[in-house]
Amino acid sequence: MTGPAESAVSSHTTRRAAPRTPPRGWVRQAIRRRGNIAAFCVLLAVACIMLLPFYWMFSSSLRTMENMFSLPIQWIPDPVNWRSYVLAWQAQDFTRYFLNSGFVAVAITLSNLLLCSLAGYSLTKFHFRGQGVMFILILSTMMLPLEVTMVPLFLIIKELDWANSYQGLIVPFLVDGFGVFLMRQYMLSIPKDLIDSARIDGASELRIFWMIVLPLCKPALVALAVFTFREAWDMYIWPLIIITRDSLRTLPLGISLFMSSYGTSWDQLMAIAVLGTLPMILLFFFLQRAFIQGIAATGLKE
Amino acid sequence: MSQAAAPKKAQGSSTAYAARSTSRRRWRISLASRQAAFGVAILLPTLAILAIFRFLPMIEAFYLSLTQYDLVHPPKFIGLANFVSLLQDPLFLKSARVSLTYVLFSVVPVLPLSLGLAVLFNRSLWIKNVLRSAIFMPVVMPAVVMAVVWTFMYQQDGVINTILGWLGIDPIAWLRSSASALWAVILIGIWRATPYYMVIFLAGLQAIPADYYDAAEIDGAGKWASFWHITLPLLKPTMLLVIVMNVIVAMKVFAVPLIMTGGGPADATRVLPLFIYQTAFEFFDMGRAAAMSVFLFVGVMLFSFIQVRMFTRGDEQR
Repeated sequence: MTGPAESAVSSHTTRRAAPRTPPRGWVRQAIRRRGNIAAFCVLLAVACIMLLPFYWMFSSSLRTMENMFSLPIQWIPDPVNWRSYVLAWQAQDFTRYFLNSGFVAVAITLSNLLLCSLAGYSLTKFHFRGQGVMFILILSTMMLPLEVTMVPLFLIIKELDWANSYQGLIVPFLVDGFGVFLMRQYMLSIPKDLIDSARIDGASELRIFWMIVLPLCKPALVALAVFTFREAWDMYIWPLIIITRDSLRTLPLGISLFMSSYGTSWDQLMAIAVLGTLPMILLFFFLQRAFIQGIAATGLKE
Repeated sequence: MSQAAAPKKAQGSSTAYAARSTSRRRWRISLASRQAAFGVAILLPTLAILAIFRFLPMIEAFYLSLTQYDLVHPPKFIGLANFVSLLQDPLFLKSARVSLTYVLFSVVPVLPLSLGLAVLFNRSLWIKNVLRSAIFMPVVMPAVVMAVVWTFMYQQDGVINTILGWLGIDPIAWLRSSASALWAVILIGIWRATPYYMVIFLAGLQAIPADYYDAAEIDGAGKWASFWHITLPLLKPTMLLVIVMNVIVAMKVFAVPLIMTGGGPADATRVLPLFIYQTAFEFFDMGRAAAMSVFLFVGVMLFSFIQVRMFTRGDEQR
């Protein structure tokens, strides 16, 4: 935007004279400031679009059913109707669904933290035959969506008699290709000397992993934990396939069931939607950096 | 490694030195192999789980696709009959077309949108972090919740039609019309994917050294010139990754169409994963569903391959 005008004004020789400092007149600053204001306005508008469903979900959960589709549209609920939360919570066993989802997500997250960091450690700080092939095999699972393998995976789980069980929900996801990749990339930066000197001091291999390597990986572990928890909390297709017993339903199953049986009680549906999103929102606010880092890490290249 | 220097210092009779050196070497080898054994041991759980729950099902999917299996009678080998009948099935072809449309139109707009937002964020702005968190929020919403909330917003008297009304646009029958239902679902995909890839682009942008832009500015390059000649070429690996990831995610879309429309109206939103699910778990035709999975798998692989080729060919020419 600013280039042509500036280069036309400043002659070639003056630029030679001071090559390190490009000309910065007040015009340029003004243009830059105007650009910033424009960028700010665009981003503000986009933020409003992104947040609209959140606002609408929350405000509708507090609106009475009579005012749900009123004309003109009611942006601020009046009167405020908190009862939708109580009614929705009691309509189905949502306490149980919440606990199930929480248990499954925590179990998957903890196991991923342990197994992915062990695998990453193995792939970076040890040498054995076939190591490269194993890494490529692990990576290739990232290209293999569950939707491709779900039918045979269901048959395997059925064979193991794990349909309608916590094992069935958890065990297939104990470890994940992306998690291994993330931990491996991070552990490449840990100096080998550190591990060797601990070995000379007589520390056992497990102790070195636990006391030296893991603490050094804390940022990557937090990012992986948040990423994995989010994926596990979001999981829908797999529980839908293997869970039919009500006491084992996870929250997404509960919400979709609620949707199909109370399809027009929008106040209650939105109340449940708010409660189902709340854990993720809290996690995001407390661990924002880790949340974003975990996703930025999916863009890591070799 | 650090013991390697020690034998050089060892003085004394040559036989004693040799004996000590071999014993030392043997000790070192056994230590190295013990370490390697530990390295293999800690990789084993990961390999075992991936082998049983990822690779075994993959292989079994290929086998199942050649059989007829209804969960009750044992699988019957029928060769390529599933594939032949799928390619003649208008419902499957329609589903494949719906999936392709979804992938194309939910991936292509996300690329400029997420890159554009990332570029805007890559300057110093007032309350930048607040804006970034706000825009990031869709990533936080679970897919099922998303489906419920957007279904509500897409109602005839819902908030989206109200806002369109302000702009003078007539209400749209979003989910009730086969002409608009797929676009309604695609719009949600874009809403959810844009901030996700924005974060990845932002990380890519921040990895570009500021010196490059300074140098370009000294040479009189404008904003657009440096964007075209510095930012875009250096972001190519990130872009490739974003496209591949986004295509895979788009090919997997399931919860939103299932909950919002169940695949309707008139099959307009029955994406391939939804059709696979219904074939396997509503009609219990496992072989046919596996054959569809194979098509989906080939699609994912083909897409990724074409994209990698497209991007690397540019490098060869340069």
